[in-house]
Amino acid sequence: MGEKTDVWQGTLALMVLRTLETLGPLHGYGLARRIEQTSGDLLQLNYGTLYPALLKLEQEGFIRSRWGLSENNRRAKFYELTKAGHRQLQKAAAEWEQTTEILARFLTPAHEA
Amino acid sequence: MRQLRALALRLRGLFRSRRGDADFAAELESHVAMHTDDGIRAGLTPQEARRQALIRLGGAEQTRQVHRERRTLPWLEDLLNDLRYGLRMMVRNPSFTAVAVLTLAIGIGATTTAFTWINGVLLQPLGGVADPSRLVVLESVTPNGEWVPNSYPDFIDFRDRLKLLDGIAVTRPSALSVGREDHADRVWGELVSGNFFDVLGVKPEVGRLFLPAEFADAPGKFPIVVISDRYWRSHFAADPSIVGKTIPINQRELTVVGVAAPSFHGSLPVTAFDLWIPYMEQPTLNSVQEWMLRNRHNRNMLGIARMKQGVTIDQARGELKALADRMAIANADVSEGMSATLLPLWKSPHGPQGLLVGPLRILMGVCILVLLIVCANVANLLLARATVREKEFTARLALGAGRARLARQVLTESLLLTGSGAALGLIVTPWMSHALKYLMPPGPMQQLVAMDTRPNLSVLGFAAGICIFAALAAGLVPALQVGRLNLSARLNAGGRSGTAGRGRNRLRSVLVGSEVALALVTLVGAGLFARGFQTTMRIDPGFDPNHVLLSQFYLNTNGYNLAQRKEFCRRLAERMQSAPGVTDVAYSDGVPLGFEPSWWEELKIEGYAPRPNENMSVFRNVISPGYLPLMHIPIVEGRNFTEQDNEDEKSPAVMIVNQAFVRRFLAGRDPIGTRIHGWGSWFRVVGVAKDSKYHYLGESTPAYFYVPFRQIFREDMNLAFYVRTKGEPDSVLSTLRAQVRGLDPNVTVFDAAPLKEFIGASLYPQKVAASLMTVLGSIALLLAAVGLYSVMAYSVAQRTQEIGVRMALGAQPGHVLRMVIGQGLALTAGGLIASAVLAIGLARAVASVSFTNSAMGSSAKLLGAGANNPLIYLAAAGFLCAIATLACWLPARRAASIDPMQALRME
Repeated sequence: MGEKTDVWQGTLALMVLRTLETLGPLHGYGLARRIEQTSGDLLQLNYGTLYPALLKLEQEGFIRSRWGLSENNRRAKFYELTKAGHRQLQKAAAEWEQTTEILARFLTPAHEA
Repeated sequence: MRQLRALALRLRGLFRSRRGDADFAAELESHVAMHTDDGIRAGLTPQEARRQALIRLGGAEQTRQVHRERRTLPWLEDLLNDLRYGLRMMVRNPSFTAVAVLTLAIGIGATTTAFTWINGVLLQPLGGVADPSRLVVLESVTPNGEWVPNSYPDFIDFRDRLKLLDGIAVTRPSALSVGREDHADRVWGELVSGNFFDVLGVKPEVGRLFLPAEFADAPGKFPIVVISDRYWRSHFAADPSIVGKTIPINQRELTVVGVAAPSFHGSLPVTAFDLWIPYMEQPTLNSVQEWMLRNRHNRNMLGIARMKQGVTIDQARGELKALADRMAIANADVSEGMSATLLPLWKSPHGPQGLLVGPLRILMGVCILVLLIVCANVANLLLARATVREKEFTARLALGAGRARLARQVLTESLLLTGSGAALGLIVTPWMSHALKYLMPPGPMQQLVAMDTRPNLSVLGFAAGICIFAALAAGLVPALQVGRLNLSARLNAGGRSGTAGRGRNRLRSVLVGSEVALALVTLVGAGLFARGFQTTMRIDPGFDPNHVLLSQFYLNTNGYNLAQRKEFCRRLAERMQSAPGVTDVAYSDGVPLGFEPSWWEELKIEGYAPRPNENMSVFRNVISPGYLPLMHIPIVEGRNFTEQDNEDEKSPAVMIVNQAFVRRFLAGRDPIGTRIHGWGSWFRVVGVAKDSKYHYLGESTPAYFYVPFRQIFREDMNLAFYVRTKGEPDSVLSTLRAQVRGLDPNVTVFDAAPLKEFIGASLYPQKVAASLMTVLGSIALLLAAVGLYSVMAYSVAQRTQEIGVRMALGAQPGHVLRMVIGQGLALTAGGLIASAVLAIGLARAVASVSFTNSAMGSSAKLLGAGANNPLIYLAAAGFLCAIATLACWLPARRAASIDPMQALRME
């Protein structure tokens, strides 16, 4: 269970950073919906799990938050990427690509050989 | 880095948890509101939309919890809660808290004090020096393997030829008089080789220390002095302009060149010197003649050396030994068979540590025993309280608290108790550390002992370690008990008290048993030491120290030359002889059984062929003719010294030897008339004195000889003055003072004390060990009694109903009394049997600990005879049983007076 959460948290953090990079400042609800959409609704996110992940990223200085008004004039907390966040995204994305590449070599049948 | 930042933020979150909660609640609320809006827009009813939003969120409460855990540090938060709760419990049970914290404070305070001393004496002996780990003590070694100080010429050879050492310095502790005429102070200082500060790596606080130009071996060229920070503050109000001024020392003007760094207090552990003067000033300061500085035989300098970086003590020792062996051959006339060695600082036989090392080790051991007893006691109290709190714990378990969590709480509470105890103990530690000086015999040694009592890092670290150890020792058993609580059994027991499981009772019994066992060990120790001390006290010293007043003079500090000193003694003796109440007057160099090291001379004895490598150094005393009669030491053959045995060229040099001397060197011969060579001339034996004790009461009598004061007294010898009185020795002190003043108003009488008290010095380590053991033994006994009492009282309270039934069925109060006391005694007996083996083993180990007062490195056993005295074991066990009976008596009486009807109606 713990291991699974770690992997999940890592990937979730990457998704959050990526989404914030593409769309700019977003509130939690918007982020959650956007991540679902991007995943082609393959990911059924428990929205609650998003917030601890956001908090962790904020504590690590990759994102910052401030209260603002949503498009429907509701008070909401907006998150945006910091400079460190941009750098972290580059790094994490590269690592992730490498990991998937390596895994892919294991998982694809060896018919090319 | 990122982790650290996150940790800091989470720490901050801990103190703003309420604000964080509100903030997150608002964020969640806005999340749900937006989600609901979307739902309504998609055609749901507002209620349904909100319901869906909450479902997708995955439970607001869980989310809040997870978020909260991430926002703060949950374990730290738990810890703070536990601490808060523990504090509340402590405040609510003041008597429990007081007992636990006070006993812990005693245990931790005593142990920390012992450690402070050990740290000061053994672990970090010298303050204010650079890299003390490379400093070693340099000792000359006699052919018999005894350690003795070094001579100045030997030092010069060592200094100039050894390659593995960065430097060697020599030093000689010395009493000096500072000030002019009649208002002079006596101050202790060190006469040191010029490179002393350089070798030790000391920094000046003001001014400078000795310069390389002043390292030279030219007598009388450097009238300079370095003073200690302590002396600078107390006598010169920390005025930096003192540098460059002169102060009168031993009636000579010496220029103060600097003040040593505050943490530097000299080259002997736990000893504080105030002045450092180049040794080459000896001739001017103490009118020591220059040839004595060049005499290899004059071994009176303590050596301290610094090894080169990366050199081991064994390598340096090897190089030194090779050189010393070559020197022994080259200077065969004075150094035949001599060698030299290096020792770690704490092994030096000189100064206070020779005396302290043995007692301190034992003290540390006993302190740990006491601490263990304290821990057992506190564990007992915690266990008893855990029984009371069982309902609380079961309720919390039933509500879903983890067992580990509860155990952690119990441990936190015990840590809180030990922490408070440690804090209290640390407050009294600096104050108790000062008591170290009472471990030293009265006289100069006691004044010199100075302890840096500010708690330093290693002491604090030690106290923290002890605190955690105590918390674990006392809290582990109760914590494990909580972990084993049987939930259903407890709840089914329906809240009736007095049904605590047998297991726990057994556990408490074991704890009390071990307390009793530990107490027995300390008691036996106390008994053995007290007994050993008594036995030694009863040994006849062979002279009569009663009704004798002893005073010591430092005439050299008054600028007296040798002839003047002798003349002073003669005239003072004359004046005192005629004073009322005085029966005898005498003076000598050494004081028997005193604390000063005893000196010796290497002899050649006519008609005695020494075995190869036989040590011909024989202890001696330089005495006035009145000495032997005053001491009531009979002359068994020949005659005593007379005033005619003087420095006149016509009067031959004479000597009196003791019976052991005759047995060893002159067996089967008539000793009178034998010619003996020492101090460069031939002496004739004129008498044989009865054997007496010279260094330790417990010693086997060594060969010993006396030479006349007027023939042999030299500039570097001490001067002890004895007056035998009809009444109390103190009664003549004022007469002595008046007579001294009449002779010379500048001479002060220092350290006047009855000889009886002064010779107690040789017994000091034993006395100290005996009194320390007695104090700690009493504490241990008291603690064990408290433990026993609490267990018995508790068990009686638990069994009230049972006892009521017994009595209703016809048991007499006497039966009940016997039953309860019997139970307590069974516990005690169990502990006693377990500890008997332990005690015997420990006594064996302690019996091998010895102490030394640097009489040629010889040492005496701390325990004296009788480590296996069975009476002491029996007496200690019996005493402990008596105390145990008493501790059981009170609860037993309460049990016996139970009214059966009331007991049965309870609950």
